[in-house]
Amino acid sequence: MLLQWLLHSLRSILQRLVSNVKKLEEVLQDWEAVIGLEVHAELTTLETKMFCGCKLEFGADPNTHTCPVCLGLPGALPVPNRAAIESIVLAGLATNCDIEQHSMFYRKNYMYPDMSKNFQITQGPVAFCMRGHLDLEVDGAAAKERVDLKEAQENGSYVAHIGIERIHMEEDAGKMVHVGGGEGRIAGATHSLIDYNRCGTPLIELVTEPELRTPEEARLFMQKLRQIYLAIGISDCSMEEGSLRCDGNVSLRRRGETKLGTKTELKNMNSFKNLHDGLAYEICRQAEVLEEGGIIYQETRHWDPSKKRTIVMRVKETADDYRLFPEPDMAPFDISREFVEEVRQRLPELPDQKAKRFEEDYGLSAYDARHLVEHRTTARFFEECMRLQGAGEVAKPLANMIINDVAAYLNTNPEITDLAQTALTPPRALELVTLIAQDKISSKQGKEVFAAILEEDKDPAAIVADRGMEQVSDTGAIEAVVDGVLAAFPDKVEQYKGGKTGLLGFFVGQCMKEMKGQGNPKVINELLTQKLDS
Amino acid sequence: MTEHVTEKDVRNIAAYVRIGMTDEEVAAMTVDLNNIIDSLKPITEYDLEGVEPTFHPIGGMVNVVRSDNERASFTQEVALENAPKQEDGSFLIPAILGGGE
Amino acid sequence: MNFTSLSAPEIQNGLKQGDFSAAEVAQASIDHIARADEQLHSYLEFTPEAALEAAKAVDAALAAGTFDELGPLAGVPVAFKDNMNMEGTHTTCSSHMLENYVSPYTATCVERVLQAGALPLGKLNMDEFAFGSSTETSYFGPTLNPWDLERVPGGSSGGSAAAVAAGLATVTLGSDTGGSIRQPASFCGVVGVKPTYGVVSRYGVVAFGSSLDQVGPFARTVEDAALALNALVAGGKDRMDCTSQSINTDFTANLGDGVEGMRIGIVPSFMEAEGLDAEVKERIEEAAQKLKDAGAEIIEVELPNAQAAMSAYYVLGPCEAFSNLARFDSVRYGYCVEGCKDLAEQYELSRAGGFGLEARRRIMLGSYLLSSGVYDKYYYPAQQVRTLITQDYTYAYHKVDCILAPVSPRTAFKFGEINDPTSMYLSDMFTISINIAGNGGMSVPVGLGAESGLPIGAQLISPAFRDENMFRVAAELERCYGAAPVAPAFAQVDPAKAGE
Repeated sequence: MLLQWLLHSLRSILQRLVSNVKKLEEVLQDWEAVIGLEVHAELTTLETKMFCGCKLEFGADPNTHTCPVCLGLPGALPVPNRAAIESIVLAGLATNCDIEQHSMFYRKNYMYPDMSKNFQITQGPVAFCMRGHLDLEVDGAAAKERVDLKEAQENGSYVAHIGIERIHMEEDAGKMVHVGGGEGRIAGATHSLIDYNRCGTPLIELVTEPELRTPEEARLFMQKLRQIYLAIGISDCSMEEGSLRCDGNVSLRRRGETKLGTKTELKNMNSFKNLHDGLAYEICRQAEVLEEGGIIYQETRHWDPSKKRTIVMRVKETADDYRLFPEPDMAPFDISREFVEEVRQRLPELPDQKAKRFEEDYGLSAYDARHLVEHRTTARFFEECMRLQGAGEVAKPLANMIINDVAAYLNTNPEITDLAQTALTPPRALELVTLIAQDKISSKQGKEVFAAILEEDKDPAAIVADRGMEQVSDTGAIEAVVDGVLAAFPDKVEQYKGGKTGLLGFFVGQCMKEMKGQGNPKVINELLTQKLDS
Repeated sequence: MTEHVTEKDVRNIAAYVRIGMTDEEVAAMTVDLNNIIDSLKPITEYDLEGVEPTFHPIGGMVNVVRSDNERASFTQEVALENAPKQEDGSFLIPAILGGGE
Repeated sequence: MNFTSLSAPEIQNGLKQGDFSAAEVAQASIDHIARADEQLHSYLEFTPEAALEAAKAVDAALAAGTFDELGPLAGVPVAFKDNMNMEGTHTTCSSHMLENYVSPYTATCVERVLQAGALPLGKLNMDEFAFGSSTETSYFGPTLNPWDLERVPGGSSGGSAAAVAAGLATVTLGSDTGGSIRQPASFCGVVGVKPTYGVVSRYGVVAFGSSLDQVGPFARTVEDAALALNALVAGGKDRMDCTSQSINTDFTANLGDGVEGMRIGIVPSFMEAEGLDAEVKERIEEAAQKLKDAGAEIIEVELPNAQAAMSAYYVLGPCEAFSNLARFDSVRYGYCVEGCKDLAEQYELSRAGGFGLEARRRIMLGSYLLSSGVYDKYYYPAQQVRTLITQDYTYAYHKVDCILAPVSPRTAFKFGEINDPTSMYLSDMFTISINIAGNGGMSVPVGLGAESGLPIGAQLISPAFRDENMFRVAAELERCYGAAPVAPAFAQVDPAKAGE
């Protein structure tokens, strides 16, 4: 079995070096991908650990946040953190889960040096939160990947209803540093160092049903979940620092087939892009193996973003036997309806609800509303502007500016978590949008002003004045220029009239050139067509 | 005596609980375990249809929690006081993947 | 001055009357241990400085006139089973694994006893990780029975029982998972109490079977044991232990009430059990008669499922122990074989060398019983049986206030007399069902065996959280039989009493 597998791995690696892997969209024509996610979130916003009073702090000196409980000293006993239980109930409510009335902690027994007790306290068959779901709106090119969905093919968008099996409470392990091998890898290391500061950090694990079908759906799910966790304030959700982690299970089956294929487990997908690319790679890899008559082995694979491939971490010959049994050191939980309602009161407006409200209150499209709420920062900024101005006509262009310019700015400046840190204030944003709406400047100039606000910390009007950008909309002035241009190029006018209407752009360009870019393109357009078509 | 566990089973269990054993120890442990498991027979013969298990004895205690308040932690020195091996404020262990794995 | 036979109130009266100082009490105990324990081997570590330091505080309180504000164990020499953490001392659990382990923190039970003004003399021998009924599994060698040095003191809290029986401490603490306080108390002729699960905090006591373990006191008098339990519950529920409960009982309150009108149960299937020695049965029947004579009503009650307790216990105990002992892995503390090529080798050699045979057996057994497929055959049914046994007791306590039973089927056996594990396990046959159900039980001396001449204890079993019931009956039996004497070979000539 092992030898066969080794030969197979070798062969597939060699093949991969020579053959061209098919693209995801091609693969998905013939194959259906079945994807499930396991998402771990550390409850970083709490003060203390899950079962002891040690402080939660990232980056402290090693082993300075430990005590008998989280070091697993003989005789120590766990006592659960009430705020962590509240957090998981909050997470459950925000993801449409049922909150179980009776649940217990269990011990998951396995010996690994980063887990100080050599068992992890987790939950058994009944978790605090069961049977939830999230709905994902999928559009853009990736919507077409769902060849099985008529609406996706016809409308270019669809809603995916993704079931959540459970969210359970557990504790994180410590951190290890592997010394002596290459790049801190465990393979080849001569020894390892363990820091138990992170050991016992409250962790919630969400397990989806295997209902995701494309890497894009998986990416959207994670994105939405992250928005929700941020909105309810239970975690800082940093994928880089590992406070939000995601593993994926992937298997393929032929379109039309109902039987599930053998799945592989994918690790190290520590960004939305890695999640998408890792899954996409794995789907293509499996398809290739299967199309060549090969076998998928149940194994754990590691996504290597630099090499853009997944590599085997370990083969699971049999299912792990963790000797799970009810944790005898802790009392079981009876979560009362009153407690659930109490927690529900603390539920803030969730991203979906916010988007819906933006649509209704400000007349935004579903698309704009959804993208506005993707970041808390942009949603908050939009709302602050609306508070100053009321909905009105600027809502739509303002939303556009935020989704495009502000979001792009935030993406390239990830250290900015609040726009209050920048020179872009709500009044300035409104002013800029108004200048464009009133045709005082062109939208192209608007982008220049936007950048200038952030750089020079000045009001839009001042920037426009400084740079002499004021747009000329005076019809008389423009008419003179238009007439001049038409007179200068009689042959082109002739060609236009002969049917080469594409030349309109040429005339507009010439007029703008004359006016040093300050002519209102709309007025120029109107006058040109009026004169040329007469 | 019924053979509940074979020597091979005992070796597998020993590997799982990380206790090294010689061949003689495996043989003796196999006999001991089979004897003990034999003595547990009554539990397998009980009519327990419909009986709820009691995982936590006494008192029907539920929802025992603590508030999210910080308590003093050990200093690094105390945390490492009993460590067989340490380096740079951390616990030191030999290679996790030894040899040619 | 000889203090070894004094009870806690006798010591406290002496202190208050200025007959002696707490420092003298501490020093006399230290000297007595130095003389006698070489033979007995009940102590693994002595803490004379800590005892003298505590004595200083007591003497200061006496001088300041604030002695009465000290706790119920003020000035009383005490010692702790070596599975209880006391900061700065070793906690070895009598295992090679923890030979060099020094506790960086203190168990709640130890803390409370110290806060009650007690003088801590040291840490006491036990079966390794409490796996055993004789202290023979101690890595550091067995403790001897003060009544007969060729015999075991019982176990696993054998050191705790022997120390009290030999006058090497007035009160000691032990822990009881299947009989580990009551059986050695019976073998050594002292009072030993396993309170209801949840009465005493388990925080800082190295776990064996988390749902079965309970801490309790040993003493030569019922009143001393009651005072010790008062100290252990003072301060209420321990926030460090989820299973600890708030107890507001004064366990000394009803010791003088007698048993008039009490309904005391006898379990026929226990009294007729195969393996129960005639001399033990005789003493228990006699005790029942004495209680009847004192005005109690003796009523037969059945515990039909108690017979399954043994197998349930040998499922649940090892399962929990397997998991609890996984932390001993040579990484953060404990025995570590140096120079291994990788972690796997270090794990396997350290755990093989650090754990004794019985510990390895239970770890292996627990791991097997929890493995998939096997779990449903043993572990789950054992928890169902626990429900039935608990119901048996609940039903019985509709009819009686307390149950009288044997502790052990026989008196102390000789070293090496019982070799195979399953026979050794039988010595817990009358005590185990109480741990399974969680209610309280205690052993109180009822004289010596007619044949063996060795101490025999009667077991009194209370309803859950009605531990005061068994204390009340125990006090009556003590009036009938007299307080437990220091074992004859260790009783010193008391100069104060010599002239009488």
